[in-house]
Amino acid sequence: MTFKAFIIGLLGTFGIPWLLLVVIPYSTMRSLEPVEYGQNSKLAGAFVPKRDGRIKEGSKIFGQEGCALCHTQVIRPTYAGNDVHRGEWAGLRKSSSVDEDTRRETIVQDYQQEDVAHIGQTRVGPDLSNFGRRVEHYLKVNKSTRTPEQWALMHLYNPKGVPRYEVPETDEQIVTAWKSACPPKSGLFDKVEVHGAGYGTLPVDIEEGMGIKPTDRARALASYLVSLKKDIFGNPLPEALNYNPKAPQPEE
Amino acid sequence: MSETNSTADSRDVVLRSSIDRSLRHPVMFFFTSGGVWLALAIVLGLVASAKKHSPEFLTCFSWLDAGKVDAAHMSAMIYGWGLQAAFGIIIWLMARLSRKECTAAGVILWAGHTWNAAVFYGVVRIMMGEGSGVTYMEFPSEVWPVLMLCYSAITIWSLIQFQVRDAGHVYVSQWYLLAGLLWFPWIAVTAWVFVFLMDGHPLMVTGVAAWFKGTLFSLFLLPVALASSYYLAPKVTGRPVYSYNIALFGFWSLAVFGPWAGMQKLVGAPVPQFLPYAGAASMILILIPAIAVGYNIIRTVIGNSEVVAESPSLRFTAAGMVLFIVFGVLSVLLHTVPAMKLTQFSYTGYGFDILGLYGVFSLCAFGAVYFIVPRITRREWLSRRFIKWHFNCSLYGVSSIVLCAVIGGVTHGQGIEDLSQPFGTMAERASQFGWGVTLAWTFLLIANLFFCLHLLLMWARLGRRSSHPTLLKANHPENPHGPEGEVDTYSSASA
Amino acid sequence: MDHTRDNPLKRFTAFWIAILMVTSFGIALIITQPFAPDKTDKAYEMMGEGRLEIKEEIDRAQDDALNEAALSGALQAQTKSFGQNKERKGNMPVPGAVPSPLPVEKPAQ
Repeated sequence: MTFKAFIIGLLGTFGIPWLLLVVIPYSTMRSLEPVEYGQNSKLAGAFVPKRDGRIKEGSKIFGQEGCALCHTQVIRPTYAGNDVHRGEWAGLRKSSSVDEDTRRETIVQDYQQEDVAHIGQTRVGPDLSNFGRRVEHYLKVNKSTRTPEQWALMHLYNPKGVPRYEVPETDEQIVTAWKSACPPKSGLFDKVEVHGAGYGTLPVDIEEGMGIKPTDRARALASYLVSLKKDIFGNPLPEALNYNPKAPQPEE
Repeated sequence: MSETNSTADSRDVVLRSSIDRSLRHPVMFFFTSGGVWLALAIVLGLVASAKKHSPEFLTCFSWLDAGKVDAAHMSAMIYGWGLQAAFGIIIWLMARLSRKECTAAGVILWAGHTWNAAVFYGVVRIMMGEGSGVTYMEFPSEVWPVLMLCYSAITIWSLIQFQVRDAGHVYVSQWYLLAGLLWFPWIAVTAWVFVFLMDGHPLMVTGVAAWFKGTLFSLFLLPVALASSYYLAPKVTGRPVYSYNIALFGFWSLAVFGPWAGMQKLVGAPVPQFLPYAGAASMILILIPAIAVGYNIIRTVIGNSEVVAESPSLRFTAAGMVLFIVFGVLSVLLHTVPAMKLTQFSYTGYGFDILGLYGVFSLCAFGAVYFIVPRITRREWLSRRFIKWHFNCSLYGVSSIVLCAVIGGVTHGQGIEDLSQPFGTMAERASQFGWGVTLAWTFLLIANLFFCLHLLLMWARLGRRSSHPTLLKANHPENPHGPEGEVDTYSSASA
Repeated sequence: MDHTRDNPLKRFTAFWIAILMVTSFGIALIITQPFAPDKTDKAYEMMGEGRLEIKEEIDRAQDDALNEAALSGALQAQTKSFGQNKERKGNMPVPGAVPSPLPVEKPAQ
């Protein structure tokens, strides 16, 4: 084996996967055709997840705070896992309070405008692909006056404190305390002195005259979390495997 | 030292000792700072692991949040310990095998200090919540170019040494070193450009970062570990490598399969489907180089079981090679399509990473450290008990982590897939195994306190002045601390 | 041993060969990336097209709703009535209040 043959061998064995696995897919994925809403949809045009301003900033903070260590953001197709059927991960199921089944797998456009797709490393906590819709629905079913952002902030401050968000199968089911294994993100909150009603502080009981105020990072992260929705107000996307019976079927 | 007892001609001995002397500062710097980083990484790993089953642990420090401390733990382990240990091995081994003195020890030392500063800066930024936010490439984007420049300043001299070597045989170790030296900048530059410089699709950014993480092991840390094994096994036993053809086959199979690894993390994500499955296939095929190399090395040392038992270098290396075969077999089991459903998002991946990083790479690196340090400091290791403790605790700790994480992870994954169970049950089920992992990290911490202390003592030139190597046997023919005296019979000749 | 392989020139050449090999795939990226397609977000173009369509539709509807005969009739009527307006005492062509009488400056005492 001469030195020249050795180097050529290395260049070849590395160059082929380099080209096929990294360079070409990266280039082709930079210019993708957009997904249009289906014919039965109330919306028209291209599907674009809402990721402006604070939500985009929140996506970055999600990565920096290491949330992706325990939370995934991908609904795998059924050949790769049972994610579509788990909880309300992939969208809401048809029930007495939900008109249409809007579950679907993740499509490539779901990560649009983020710097990096937070696929996640492990599922110690639940998948967050549909977190925003799930919380909204939970608050609606429980006739809560809280906004989803407030709920998310409460969860970040003390994950064990807030009731669990798994939407009950039947409306009668009692919502019990969620045994979360998520560590509190106390670094995202400031303890401040409050006067009067304590505007902008979280509704938690701590010592008299003090309040817990979310930092800008916490608010951005909460905005990002509640923006994570897999069902677009029940508007079907023909690209994704869809449990909505109104969704257009792929042609045979 | 065993080799000085051989009948090597005096000119050779002088050359070897002058090579050792030319490299003693950079190599010792990389090993000791690597050892300190490893101890730090293990402490961080202990905290990260404890947080998985006891979320209330240390919540008063927001910079120790679960996600951040885990990223800091892996970064410190890979860039603080792994790459620095690899640098020490590369520059020493390449100089020895090319029979050239190092002429740039000062530059290497400076680059090494800068490397440490950059890694420290990166780890602090991660813990402050100011990392890049890209899984597997958590250092902020400005750290990477600094690391790459330092890398070039450290290793370019080894490439030059290889080019100007005296004509003759090229050792198997040199193939791996040369390939690893080139592979790392190739993957690092590509990953940095695509992840941080260019504006790509977020999924491909994730994919390229996962590819970087996979290939960093298969194309850099692993080749360096194998180079060390292919050097130590014949050197310590005094026998040639069992089969040249198997070595050739093992090398090229790694070169062919290695660059495809990494993207298996993206199974089911909406990327072109062949990307994750190519990654999974390459992880399965890594069994081929694992068996080829493992078999070759083990056959080289198999007849000399007492040498394996007595020599610290060989004992670590042989254990590393056995674990490399285990790594290969486990890789096949964990990356088949049905298994990927369970292992993709469970604890299993962590256990598998630790098996590669600690079980394969670090054990081989420890073997190299135990061989190289006495030669460059001209002192022998102080205590065989320290080495024994280091070996036993390491092996026990890493096996426990892998067993707990892999079994716990498969249980965890099965639970997520089992729709008859609520999700919360699975997280609880996994946390039971988390306790095992935490306990195992404490064993690794003990192991590395011994290692670190021993290494720092050697660094302070407090080693034994003896011409007898520290062997791991109970009944030493002489005083276990050896007769005091001149280390090398040739030291006057070389002066 | 062949010692002729090692001389400063050899080392210099080896240095540049090493630099070239280390950076080879970086160079390959620099060469190939200008030919790669630019990042496009057609979704936004599509949304922009949608907005333009709505605008055109409204413009068209406004054009269609325009009754030019009625408009010219109304304008004609205005013009005619404007011509009939003559300035007379008690009939100002421009509607408005009768200007208040100018204040008479009193001579300084």
